Amino acid sequence: MFSFWIFLSSGLFLGWSLGANDASNIFGTAVGTKMVKFRTAALISAVFVIIGAVSAGEGAAQTLNDLGSVNAPAGAFMVGLAAALSIYWMTLSKISVSTSQAIVGAIVGWNLYSGKPTDISLFSTIAGTWIFCPILSAILAVIIYQLARFIITRAKISLLKQDFYTRVGLILAGAFGAYALGANNIANVMGVFIPSNPLQPLTFPGGFRLTSEQVLFLLGALAIAVGIVTYSGNVMQTVGRNICLMSPLAAWVVVVAQSLVLFLFASKGLHLFLEEHGLPGIPLVPVSSSQAVIGAVIGIGLLKGGHGINWNLIRRIFIGWVATPVIAAAVCFISLFFLENVFNQTVYH
Amino acid sequence: MLHIKFPVVSRTHNLENKIDAFHDKMIEAAAVFHRSIKVFLNENSRDEYKSINKKIKTIEHEEDKLRRDIENDLYSQNLLPNLQADILQLIEGLDKINNQIDDVIYKFYIEQPQIPAAFHHKLIELCDQVADCVENMAIASRSFFKDLSIVRDYIHKVYIMEQESDSSYNDLKKAIFKSDMSLANKLQLDLLITEVADIADIAEDCADELLIFTLKRDI
Repeated sequence: MFSFWIFLSSGLFLGWSLGANDASNIFGTAVGTKMVKFRTAALISAVFVIIGAVSAGEGAAQTLNDLGSVNAPAGAFMVGLAAALSIYWMTLSKISVSTSQAIVGAIVGWNLYSGKPTDISLFSTIAGTWIFCPILSAILAVIIYQLARFIITRAKISLLKQDFYTRVGLILAGAFGAYALGANNIANVMGVFIPSNPLQPLTFPGGFRLTSEQVLFLLGALAIAVGIVTYSGNVMQTVGRNICLMSPLAAWVVVVAQSLVLFLFASKGLHLFLEEHGLPGIPLVPVSSSQAVIGAVIGIGLLKGGHGINWNLIRRIFIGWVATPVIAAAVCFISLFFLENVFNQTVYH
Repeated sequence: MLHIKFPVVSRTHNLENKIDAFHDKMIEAAAVFHRSIKVFLNENSRDEYKSINKKIKTIEHEEDKLRRDIENDLYSQNLLPNLQADILQLIEGLDKINNQIDDVIYKFYIEQPQIPAAFHHKLIELCDQVADCVENMAIASRSFFKDLSIVRDYIHKVYIMEQESDSSYNDLKKAIFKSDMSLANKLQLDLLITEVADIADIAEDCADELLIFTLKRDI
């Protein structure tokens, strides 16, 4: 059990860095433009990330397990660490990096090392969502933006009332965004530890019960929450300053579009509903919140005539789509070799 | 019926009221200015002009207080954070108009210039145009806070009134220097009508700034 906690540390670290970085996608503009205080933003995102992860994290995590069931704690540790290291290096090279892409690459690296087959059709579905995610986010942003613009123009809402509604909207969208981030991205943080999870189900006074998987998600979500509270403040300020040219309403649209995308790719209920009605179900896959944000910003940018869009940023996303999983797979493969042969750890069964 | 008051809502409402009151005062100042010149030109209304001078001072004083309150509320309660600088600039600009109106009325009161009857009609026309210009500027500014779609209409009216006041000012200036008044009287009257026309020029500057703020506010 003790060794499990040591091995879990890479996942917790990944959770911390996810909280530190990705919370800024949800509340960055609101905090950076001083529409919402950091304390409020941190509290709301921490609480809703935990709720989302524990109550709805299962779907996307299942997909990652189907891709590669990392059945030894040491193997899961290295998958998490390889993903974290790849993210670190890619961030240094200023290439748009996604935790989801890194973890998928690392799982494929583990599959290659352990000789387990990789489900190519599932991998294609996952890779397809990476491309689809920012495009869908852009489409949603354009629709919501047009709708909001129409309502505000028709309703003739005064400037100060608009400011008040935008603040409320940013907080509500932030809470939803944090919930969706927890539900969608907990798979990146804790997904690989599910097959080797030794944790017991937890029953709270009053009969509220968490399954062993949910207890694992709760730990991961707490790590994300710690990341949000301890380190996301600076990132939020930076994000807010970088896109402060955007009006608060456009910022709200970006958060809503991004949150909807994350929610769509995490909602088991919606997935089942679509399948029941003979429609193609949206795959439950962890997607990148940063890329969803970029997609939404570009969507609004294109709607406004396409001036001032940073095409260099889009080029970096394309590089990231290919480079992140490849680097993570290579790092994981090499590290597993060392972990098994130098440190004598069982990395697969 | 139970009324629950949320502090943020009441703060917003409070500031909205102050902004409204500020614009009301500005329109009142324009109306007082509009009347002031007619009263001044009427030889028998010295006492009434004195009370007008007092009244414009009171309006200016109340406006200053409202301006400080609005600026203080905006920053201390962090309302409209992305527009604070623009609103501050707009309110300060409007305050300059009010100060100029106050100055002009006071100068007429102190200097008591001799204005030949031949210039009365043109001078009243100039003051009407300037007062109209200020009134339209106040409505344009109020619309910026309430209904963005009509701001441009009122800004356009400000531009038209400013052009008309310019033309009246030039005609009056030419007439003054063509007249057989003493040079000292000519120069004194010229300075005063320049100060009157300046009110419309300041309003035009405000309208220019407001147009940019309106474009920036486009969602």
